[in-house]
Amino acid sequence: MAERVFITGLGMITAIGDNVADNLRSLRAQESGLGFTRQLDTIYKEVLPVAEVKHTTAELLAMAGMTGREGFTRTTLLGLIAMQEALKHAGISDVQDEVTGFINASTVGGMCDTENVYFDIADPEKSGDFLNYIDTLDCADCTQRIADTIGFDGPVTTISTACSSSANALMYGARLIKAGFVRRVVCGGTEALTRFTLNGFNSLKNVDKRPCSPFDQDRNGLNLGEGAAYLVLESESLVKERNAAVLATLDGYANTNEAFHPTAPSPEGDGAYAAMKTAMEMGGCTPSDIQYVNVHGTATLSNDVAEGMALQRLFGENVPKFSSTKPFTGHTLAAAGGIEAIYAVLAISHQTIFPNLHFKDKMEELYITPETQLLEQYPVRHVLSNSFGFGGNNASLLISKYEG
Amino acid sequence: MKGKCYIQGMAAITPQHTFDGDLMAQPMVVTHGNMLSCAEPDYKSFIAPNSLRRMTRVLKMGLTASLKCLQDSGIAVPGAIVTGTGKGSLQDTERFIKEIRDYQEKALNPTPFIQSTYNAVNGLIALQQKCTQYNNTFVHRGFSFEHALLDSMLLLHEGTADVLTGAFDEITPEHFFIKGRIGHWKKETISNDKLYEHPSPGTISGEGAVFFALTPAVTAQSYAQIGGLQMLYKPSPEKLHAALPEFLQQHGLQAADIDLVLTGENADTNHAHYYEILKGYPQLPFKHLSGDYETVGAFAMWLAAQILKHQQLPSQWFPMLQQQPAKLRNILIYNHFFGEQHTFMLLHAV
Repeated sequence: MAERVFITGLGMITAIGDNVADNLRSLRAQESGLGFTRQLDTIYKEVLPVAEVKHTTAELLAMAGMTGREGFTRTTLLGLIAMQEALKHAGISDVQDEVTGFINASTVGGMCDTENVYFDIADPEKSGDFLNYIDTLDCADCTQRIADTIGFDGPVTTISTACSSSANALMYGARLIKAGFVRRVVCGGTEALTRFTLNGFNSLKNVDKRPCSPFDQDRNGLNLGEGAAYLVLESESLVKERNAAVLATLDGYANTNEAFHPTAPSPEGDGAYAAMKTAMEMGGCTPSDIQYVNVHGTATLSNDVAEGMALQRLFGENVPKFSSTKPFTGHTLAAAGGIEAIYAVLAISHQTIFPNLHFKDKMEELYITPETQLLEQYPVRHVLSNSFGFGGNNASLLISKYEG
Repeated sequence: MKGKCYIQGMAAITPQHTFDGDLMAQPMVVTHGNMLSCAEPDYKSFIAPNSLRRMTRVLKMGLTASLKCLQDSGIAVPGAIVTGTGKGSLQDTERFIKEIRDYQEKALNPTPFIQSTYNAVNGLIALQQKCTQYNNTFVHRGFSFEHALLDSMLLLHEGTADVLTGAFDEITPEHFFIKGRIGHWKKETISNDKLYEHPSPGTISGEGAVFFALTPAVTAQSYAQIGGLQMLYKPSPEKLHAALPEFLQQHGLQAADIDLVLTGENADTNHAHYYEILKGYPQLPFKHLSGDYETVGAFAMWLAAQILKHQQLPSQWFPMLQQQPAKLRNILIYNHFFGEQHTFMLLHAV
């Protein structure tokens, strides 16, 4: 019998807070992290809102305790700060007291720093400190720098499936535990804002000039964000052995593919429907067991139709409370699955449902609307967390209250 | 982890003529220069012309290798698609970075951005084969393919009927230059057939797209069984030394049971010492055929499976071979990527 997988530690940094407690406070205060960039050199500086972490890269270096160290990108530093919190929260002072894996997620690695020096790196006539950043271009650099700083001695790798990357990292980590490969693994993702991704999504006409408004009739695209989030996953036996506090369980997960279009979901949300249904059933739940869905809800025209259709198909007339937290954090791409998995845990541990900001009018294609109020003392036992990405990649996680 | 894993089909696009024809009769492709490029097949028989026009090189290589692999296996719609890539579509990444600069962030064509996404090849395969199941991509240097393989083995263990598992990487002149700046390549220009005559800092670069169809049960068509896989991240010399006998022991084998080791030896004196753990084993290097790159382990696995299936080595590719091994039951692959990610893979004849 495969072991159950428990969540025992959380760590994060986003535009709405440098740690989990600050994120929770901003969510409750309904304070969005959206604004204009102060870090990014782009012509869209004062045009396209983003959800940026409110620190310079030098400040992040100090926060991570790495002052004076070379070659640490913003991506790495965001990740390191979140990682340090997650391990501390789980009560792990020596990560090597148990073989521990690290499954990270990233979409463009250290592009945030590399893009500023790329043409110097590629120019034979130029030489200088920028050569320190050559190896930061790929997705593995941030993972390995975090792994080396912390001292992970289990499996170390990086997943990159666009916007579902860290949900897939959590799934892979849980499966490694269930297969008996390791008993502890830290999973999540890190993402820094880059000119590359901002221009990428903007060229797809997917970026709203206003603060994004998921599931609203008048929505017109996403806003990008940055951040990092990690969750400590442990097997039931390890949790018992070390008497660790369980925050929630990860009993169900699924990864499905749309096989429809490189960047757009099927209009009926086939992949989203299959991912949610499979994750729910794996955890032994029926639709009536789910109290909250933290939707992918990017506020792009096509995502919200597809995801909404999938919710209606799965839940019929009894769609549970659902909201997108992207108006708080922006769309943090590879970090989104991790950030929103933490929000799911917070929804359970604080019996709270977070509002979908900026919603005004129901979409004409749907009969459902997102939750717009902060609901406290709301009984939340099972949460579905959705992350969907390019390449038709859909991931859904079932996060549940630990009841022994 | 219980359960078995067999290679039911495979396909490879590499700097050698590996895509079709009789492997044992293909002469070694010799390239003068430190950057080996793939012998690309005619893509038209695999990809429709209108799609082909939009796709960049590594997408074509990846998609075509995957489709040929499925053909070879007789599986139309795999139960999962899992890949590894160190660099994804470099051409698209380079192009989008340049267009952002050249067009000052205005009126950009989104295609290179979309295609630069590391899971773009996975998405294309799923789309073409209408595969709506599990789909994952690992991007972690010398562990990219190996974690894709581990994920695939987990899927088979969990009950997935078959998995399409692959790896793809390309090299561009610009990236070759960039990685040369941090000492990846030899300073002297050599040709690949003379690689091992030039021990010096750095190696030669390569590329490839290699796919496998993996199943939990053996069939008459199976190429080989994948018996074991181990990854070691930046191991200490002591840990690495201890790891090999432990790995064999875990699989019920001793050193004497290994008929051949395919080694990642690449004449790079900066990292050559790791291969000393293979002292005493019958071994052959393979990177004179492929060059070195993040997912070269997939090529090594393809080669091992071919050797086990044919029960002989393509001797024209191994001029250093004195005589064919007396038996070919167990092949071990040991590779590392610039000293950081070390991997053991064990294959058995079926």
